[in-house]
Amino acid sequence: MQKHEYPRVKETVYSETLDNGLQVYVLPKEGFKKTFATFSTHYGSVDNCFAVGSEPPVRVPDGIAHFLEHKMFEEPEGDIFATFASNGASANAYTSFDRTVYLFSATDRIRENVTTLLNFVQNPYFTDENVNKEKGIIGQEIKMYADQPDWRVYFGLIEAMYHKHPVHIDIAGTVESISQITKETLYHCYRTFYHPQNMILFIVGGVNPEEMIELVRENQAGKTFEPQGEIQRLFEQEPEHVKEKVKTIHLPVSIPKCLFGIKEKDVGFSGQELLKRELTTKLLFDLLFSPSSRLYQALYDEKLITDSFGAEYNCSEQYSFSVIGGDTRDPDALVNRVREVIEEWKSSGIPEELFERTRRKKIGGFFRLLNSPEAIAGEFTKHRFRGTQLFDVLDMYEQITLQEAETRLKEHFDWEQLSVCVVKSE
Amino acid sequence: MQTTHFQRDAVNGIRLHVFPTDRFKTTAISVFIGTLLQEQTVTPVALTPFVLRRGNATYPTTKQFREALDDLYGAGFGFDIYKRGDYQIVNFRMDVIQNEFASGEKLLQQGIEFLGETVTKPALEGGTFVKQYVEAEKHTVQKKLESIINDKGRYAAERCIEEMCKDEPYRLHPLGRTEDLEAVTPESLFASYQTWLSDSPMDIYVVGNTTLEEVKELVQRAFAANRQASGAEYRHSRQKKNVENVNRVIERMDVGQGKLNMGLRTSTTYADPSYAAALVYNGILGSFPHSKLFINVRERESLAYYAASRLDGHKGIITIQSGIEIDNYEKAVDIIEKQLESIRKGEISDLEMSQTKAMISNHLREINDSAYEMIGFDFNTVLSGKERTAEVLLQEVHEVDVSDIVQFAQTVQLDTIYFLRDRREG
Repeated sequence: MQKHEYPRVKETVYSETLDNGLQVYVLPKEGFKKTFATFSTHYGSVDNCFAVGSEPPVRVPDGIAHFLEHKMFEEPEGDIFATFASNGASANAYTSFDRTVYLFSATDRIRENVTTLLNFVQNPYFTDENVNKEKGIIGQEIKMYADQPDWRVYFGLIEAMYHKHPVHIDIAGTVESISQITKETLYHCYRTFYHPQNMILFIVGGVNPEEMIELVRENQAGKTFEPQGEIQRLFEQEPEHVKEKVKTIHLPVSIPKCLFGIKEKDVGFSGQELLKRELTTKLLFDLLFSPSSRLYQALYDEKLITDSFGAEYNCSEQYSFSVIGGDTRDPDALVNRVREVIEEWKSSGIPEELFERTRRKKIGGFFRLLNSPEAIAGEFTKHRFRGTQLFDVLDMYEQITLQEAETRLKEHFDWEQLSVCVVKSE
Repeated sequence: MQTTHFQRDAVNGIRLHVFPTDRFKTTAISVFIGTLLQEQTVTPVALTPFVLRRGNATYPTTKQFREALDDLYGAGFGFDIYKRGDYQIVNFRMDVIQNEFASGEKLLQQGIEFLGETVTKPALEGGTFVKQYVEAEKHTVQKKLESIINDKGRYAAERCIEEMCKDEPYRLHPLGRTEDLEAVTPESLFASYQTWLSDSPMDIYVVGNTTLEEVKELVQRAFAANRQASGAEYRHSRQKKNVENVNRVIERMDVGQGKLNMGLRTSTTYADPSYAAALVYNGILGSFPHSKLFINVRERESLAYYAASRLDGHKGIITIQSGIEIDNYEKAVDIIEKQLESIRKGEISDLEMSQTKAMISNHLREINDSAYEMIGFDFNTVLSGKERTAEVLLQEVHEVDVSDIVQFAQTVQLDTIYFLRDRREG
């Protein structure tokens, strides 16, 4: 067991990589009643084409990672929610672009609950019947999202940006794509991506780290996993340019929703370099777009934006893009005004004082995140799968220079790479 | 389990509730101001915090105001307006990182000063609210009210309440009425604000590394000095409306998924001895994945992705919400009514009972891990006039048996069935 201390934030993380490859992390939180645990696989909606070792590549139906997540909760003896409920734990799961996360939170019977979490995720049980039944439930989930304008405009934007990369595919797939899922394809994906080598267990809360790691070690020692070759995730070459400059979706809404963003051409960064790009961009976006920014106040006074306005930056080794916008009475005017203001910033540069104030704000935000076991677990795992470290964030925010932020400003906002998505009533 | 008694005091009619702890990285401050939900005042009261967030006496422009927050290491500042029983509650929240993480800066002191000034000493021009702020925020509130329809699940839930309580103040939306916004002037709003500030009960909570004495002194300076003392307290009418006929409402819109919502009346509110039974009833019916609604509507019949119930302990109503295939309306209503009937007949297994109690207990214990959850729970007790710690409620839940639930179930009456569907004939 290794111990990593982070004195500046008064946190300590204990970790161990088990013989079967599973990485276990424990972050004890003194005084907390709750324990929150996540068991995550580095497998998400983008992993729809892959090969293991020397096996031939496989293309699987869109939405299968999410379908698998739903189906894992079923065990021969019934629904696993019931087992968690008997031990007073709330369980859940989610699937994102690059990972699937199973989790519980509980204040009691932590050993039993950790054991349940490990066992159910490591025990797939798929039958033709239970796979077909799930299609009805997920079909309703897809329909629910189809009626949600916020979801549609978000995915609409990613669809407008990307031609090939599966990041543009809805995480749940489509009613059509999930109809092709069978228990055999599920088992195939399961065996590939739920190997302990591809997974991380993270436990945070009022626990004893030694006891937890010992529990997991014993649990895993009782199971056998065939050694597995390396997973290769296969992606078609993504063209640099955006697929569509403007995409319009019709849905009944009180006011149009407009999201726009830049698809970055320069990708392939990893580790510290990726983290630095991410945090520099986030700091920059806060400075440009947060409610205290010049741009926000001006557009709010012009009634071009509402409280829903915001900006985010998503990046991985293979894709990176910004998402900016919200509800607006006039999507064209909004995009034009934002472009104008950003061009002004590009020529005027960023004042030192504003930069430093924003830096402090991001540092404050990092401390706030550490209040939430859910956020710690989610962020920690996200960073690990990407090859970065959550607890490097604080130091990194302190290292970023004004010049780096200005460089990022000029480099990111390449308007040739702009896509716009609008949801409006007909 | 440790007790979570807040230390209490009052200063100039403002009630103080302080919980000293170093469990969190931030200190949370929360201010509650409640006023009776009434047609004449609901809109100006809702508009008030929107105008207050535009600036205070020291930071009269919005940009200065928000930069001041950023300077406090990005202090979190926000507000919410909601209904609790007969009351419209405005809740301001602020959190600042603990002084020790901010190189010893006195962030808590500055935070309380900032919040106190924001609530009691707004930015003024010519002795009244700034016209530009009032006009802009009228627009914002109007857009917010209009946008409710964009989220179909939320829209259906609110329409169900509106239909169910059409003869009671509870039908009113906490953000007010669009038709009343136009007539609001800076003068009328300022007069309403002054009455609201002096005549409404005010509660201030602080959870973090501080003491009651310190908070009292800070509140005295930041809040009490600028506010008339008042002895206002929360009072509740406790009448349950008797249901004669089930009110069925069908509304049509361009949607793909149907939203089925039901409203039920009970004769129990938060302060009643039977509240614990109501909580367990709701748990067995629909608040967990092992509950009857989830199992029967989703798992057995694959009719829905979500099917759940919620208890509003201040109003004494239970609402059910589900998203279904439109043609399954009758079938879903029938299955849900069967679940209500089955609880009424006492068809509750030992397992359902123990799982539900374990889940509720877990939730009650988890409250202590979040400052805002602790505050929210305690404020419920203040609001209802029934002081009951989470520990006491936990014990009461533990003692509930099937006969208590059956007895409670006899008072539950289905009042309204609301269905949002597409425009097809049928």
